[in-house]
Amino acid sequence: MNTPVATTQLLDSTRRHFFSQCSMGLGSIALASMMNDNAQAASTAAGPGLPQRGDFQPRAKNVIYLFMAGGPSQLELFDYKPRLIELNGQPIPQSYIEGKRFAFMNSSAGVKLLGTRKTFKQRGQSGSWISDMLPYTAGIADDISIVTTCKTELFNHAPAKLFMNTGSGQFGRPSMGAWATYGIGSESQDLPGFVVLQSGPRGPRGGAVNWGSGFLPTTYQGVPLRGQGEPILNLTNPTGISAASQRTTIDAVRDMNLKRLVATGDDEISTRVKAYEMAYRMQSSAPELIDISGESQATLDLYGVDPTQPSFARNCLLARRLIERGTRFVQLYHTNWDSHGGKGETLEDDFPKVVHDIDQGCAALIRDLKSRGLLEDTLVIWGGEFGRTPMGENRDKTGRNHHIDAFTMWFAGGGVKPGQTIGKTDELGFNGVEDPAHVHDIHATILHLLGLDHKKLTYRFQGRDFRLTDVHGNVMTKLLA
Amino acid sequence: MRHLLRSALLLSLLTARASAAPVDYARQIKPLLQVTCVKCHGASTQKSKLRLDTAAAALKGGKNGPSIIAGKASDSLFIQTIEGTHADIPKMPYKRPPLDSSQVALIRQWINEGAQAPADEQPSDDRHWAFVKPVRPAVPAQASENPIDFFIRARLAKEGLSPSPQADKATQIRRVYLDLLGLPPTPQQVDAFVSNASPQAYLDLVDEAMESPHYGERWGRWWLDQARYADSNGYSIDAPRLIWKYRDWVVEAINRNMPFDQFTIEQIAGDMLPAATEAQKIATGFNRNTQINQEGGIDPEQFRVESVVDRVATTSTVWLGLTVGCAQCHDHKFDPISHKEYYQIFAFLNNQTEPTLKVTDLSFNAKTVEAEMKQLEGKITTFIAKQQAVADTWEKELGAASKKLLTKEALKALALPKAKRNFAQNRLLFAAGAGAADQAFRALNERYTELDTLIKNGVTTMIMAEMPQPRKTTLFIKGDFTRPDVEVHEAVPAMLHPLQPTNAAKPDRLDFARWLVARDNPLTARVIVNRVWQQYFGRGIVETENDFGSMSIAPSHPELLDWLAVEFMESGWDLKHMHKLIVESATYRQSSALLPSTINPSPSSRPNPLTFDPKNYLLWRQTRLRLDAEIVRDTCLAASGLLSPKMAGPPVYPPIPEGVLSLGQVKRAWPISKGEDRYRRGLYTFVFRATPPPSLSVFDAPEGFSTCTRRIRSNTPLQALSMLNDAGNFEFAQALEKIIQRDGIATAFQRCVARKPTADELARLGQLDSLTAARVLLNLDETITRE
Repeated sequence: MNTPVATTQLLDSTRRHFFSQCSMGLGSIALASMMNDNAQAASTAAGPGLPQRGDFQPRAKNVIYLFMAGGPSQLELFDYKPRLIELNGQPIPQSYIEGKRFAFMNSSAGVKLLGTRKTFKQRGQSGSWISDMLPYTAGIADDISIVTTCKTELFNHAPAKLFMNTGSGQFGRPSMGAWATYGIGSESQDLPGFVVLQSGPRGPRGGAVNWGSGFLPTTYQGVPLRGQGEPILNLTNPTGISAASQRTTIDAVRDMNLKRLVATGDDEISTRVKAYEMAYRMQSSAPELIDISGESQATLDLYGVDPTQPSFARNCLLARRLIERGTRFVQLYHTNWDSHGGKGETLEDDFPKVVHDIDQGCAALIRDLKSRGLLEDTLVIWGGEFGRTPMGENRDKTGRNHHIDAFTMWFAGGGVKPGQTIGKTDELGFNGVEDPAHVHDIHATILHLLGLDHKKLTYRFQGRDFRLTDVHGNVMTKLLA
Repeated sequence: MRHLLRSALLLSLLTARASAAPVDYARQIKPLLQVTCVKCHGASTQKSKLRLDTAAAALKGGKNGPSIIAGKASDSLFIQTIEGTHADIPKMPYKRPPLDSSQVALIRQWINEGAQAPADEQPSDDRHWAFVKPVRPAVPAQASENPIDFFIRARLAKEGLSPSPQADKATQIRRVYLDLLGLPPTPQQVDAFVSNASPQAYLDLVDEAMESPHYGERWGRWWLDQARYADSNGYSIDAPRLIWKYRDWVVEAINRNMPFDQFTIEQIAGDMLPAATEAQKIATGFNRNTQINQEGGIDPEQFRVESVVDRVATTSTVWLGLTVGCAQCHDHKFDPISHKEYYQIFAFLNNQTEPTLKVTDLSFNAKTVEAEMKQLEGKITTFIAKQQAVADTWEKELGAASKKLLTKEALKALALPKAKRNFAQNRLLFAAGAGAADQAFRALNERYTELDTLIKNGVTTMIMAEMPQPRKTTLFIKGDFTRPDVEVHEAVPAMLHPLQPTNAAKPDRLDFARWLVARDNPLTARVIVNRVWQQYFGRGIVETENDFGSMSIAPSHPELLDWLAVEFMESGWDLKHMHKLIVESATYRQSSALLPSTINPSPSSRPNPLTFDPKNYLLWRQTRLRLDAEIVRDTCLAASGLLSPKMAGPPVYPPIPEGVLSLGQVKRAWPISKGEDRYRRGLYTFVFRATPPPSLSVFDAPEGFSTCTRRIRSNTPLQALSMLNDAGNFEFAQALEKIIQRDGIATAFQRCVARKPTADELARLGQLDSLTAARVLLNLDETITRE
């Protein structure tokens, strides 16, 4: 335990000695030395830094999390329940709902079971059940691992989203992406380690806290890559400032800062010099990232991307490009899954549109990563903050209420055993009866795949060591390859 | 690591090398035993029936016979167990870091010298230090210096370290200005101070600064962090709220130097004071800074309980420095706070209604509000007209089930023929239907609603009021409000000083507020002075500023902390007095630089502070601290001459980048402020919790989700992008460019960093055109750092 500290101290004093010896004109030499000083880069805050630690051999290096905001209905997509179809229109047996609480409590009283009207088939070698609504996803059945028994604790959107992202319904905790970059750093020197992309008609409920760094340093928070306008906030030079002028400014800031570093010996100054260099690189790397004109027509067709329009599929393609460039954690939000049956949220008319929005992009992402040899290092996660009830909800047309006891997510890539369905729900799809996967278990598993022990990845705040999994969580061993 | 560090620091405080001089039991041995042994072998717990809280008890021994045999260290069980040589008994302290060899040698020497101890020895207190009332430690009479310097220097001297020399005068004045006012001094102020050779000049500077109203803005923000203040309701809907009157109350109270005990009582229970004034009611906004969930389909009781949970956690953290919140679900794992005691505190904060109070406000200008509404009315009407077809379809397709969800007013409007509907009705219907999910419409509409409420109700603020019939409070099993258990009543944790209720039969929130600042409270004064200290040195005397419990890191200077705590209480809880003491100390006035003379001490036998104490726990120098987010803004505003000194009033909307407010569920309006409101201090910028202003949050400003007792100081590329490219910052640079053209680069440099540039720096800046030079100056690390 003492060695790294001692080493850091040694590095520190060497650096200070270096600067106290050379008082003038060291600008570019010092800079070059700092830029190459990887050990130091990892321990300071300029960027998320280089990979920092690992408790196990990592199975995945990167994560792409396709977040289906609003809660997609598993009963229309993955969890095939013939018995529920038979019982369509019957009241739910009291034993299922006794003592349970639901969102929109009043409208849930006395509701009847709703069998799906969608058709299902078994797919691929694995024979996983996938609805006909997902023709593209059906094509990757043997590459993904479907978990039908996911379970959460909170049934309103914003708290449940927070819970899925941070392991707590309370605001102020770090998100999974922040924990991951805190735990293993990022390999990108030009782009943030944790990037968030959004599609759909509105931002996800709860906003930035879903990718916040909580009590971890802000270095680890997700950086939203925006669909329109400049991709990263303040990425563009101010009006009238040329690229050359920007470079002149940054060079002068660096030279002046290094003079102050010599005068004060404060390493925070070298961190800031590095931060300015990374900011400068981001100014060119981020536009390069979002410029997909170099992608082949075949790739664009695979994703079904219109290069001129923001879309979920375009974000999937950007996710691949981010991973290629060393970003550690990419999270895609696609909104509008809330299907209560009211105007704009019916299972009949609106739900199919949202399903269509995402199906091709998801499948294309898996195929594209696979063909480029990236899938084995990249964990891909698909799912929402909760699922929908087996009972129907009738407003204008049909819908389903929020359901937390059993819903479906799928996982693919780095370290995940492909081509299987894990977990079994009861005949109505209400509760998990085999292999329940609580959000804490899901978190423990994601960290495990990244080579991190969820019990050891802690941060001390307000007098206690916090974890993503709080005091819970078991690794889902059946999910592992 | 933390544990090791804590023990190492604490023990090294107490240890002296074994030497020829006889060991002094009271000074050298007893404190060591108290820290390492007494928790398990003291008054409350006697493992193996052994007590080690007096020498006599140790000689008497326990189950295994005498622990200490006077004169025979090697034969003493005590030595065998701490050295780990006993055949049956595991090494002590059990499962804790062992004593180091110098400590063992010291104890051996004491035993061999006959294990002498005073005859009238009292057992040492086995309570955690922070739960024992502080007693003012003696400061030797000859010490004419500031008592702070006495404690800091005594400790440095013990380790063979020297303090750093005084910072140069320009640094001193900039430090004082930034720390007390959150603003940099002007070049004229710097020059006047630097050229004044009188030793009195610095003291005058401090006195003047403390009388400036900007002092309340700077230290008000310190308190608002802890009060989790922001201008919106939080959660996903995050609608704007009116509670800025509370912010102004804080600034004013700090400026008036309201004694901290009164400051506390008014915020926790101002509404319950006899003949409570409007200001005292406004003060109770402290506990209204909780979030409100306006999402559809929620159980309101769940979120009411959440807000009480937050109040318990915040109140305990802010005043007591305790993690009481841990006992929401179970007995506290480390501190003596039971699950039941948690709900006893909960009971004090569970009997309120949450009204709004209409307040007198001279700044309220109905004309401006009405003008903005008129404008919005036009925009909304045009917007609806453009979407008329969509609105008509919505109305036509409206099913019976959806109709049920509409308000009465909406139904009434629907019943009217389209031509007969007025603006309000059109707006209402469009908002309920076609415009419900339209971000652009919602942004207009919600701002209109906000202004409409303002016109109808005037300025209001959120306050607390006690219910005549208290709610029943029960314990919640595992903290789950759907699993109530036995009823509990208001009480305070048994391990702390007793509550002294006015009516013993019915202790209330006012009693609780008074209890927080009772003279017997061992925690509040320590916690608050520690948090003040932290602002000046970057770290508290207790590093875990929000946890003084048994998992805390031991104070680096325990005597100093107690001295300050007692001084604070005995001065009448006088915050300005504490600020003055600190700011006038030589410890504060030291240089923060790593000077060659400091890090290469002579003679070379003395320790190098950089290797001995690299993190500067012992304060052998000051520390460079990156400015808080709002002060980054304020400094740039001041340097570029744009700063508006206007205080108080409704929050303002300086320019922010396009698209920021659409990141949340509901896009929020941001009516960019005009005139001087565009250039107000960061304290006055409107903060939406879900979509906070990026130029503040990028520099770690808290969003007000929960209490913030210490800000993180990150250093990131996004900060660089913000400083370089943000349109607001660029505007500052353009203003500074004019100053360069008018007054020259040296003056502009001084406006940013107070000191004069070196010839070398001037030469480098001289290579730049004036706009580039202005941008460079605002982007300097030094500009956003207090040195």
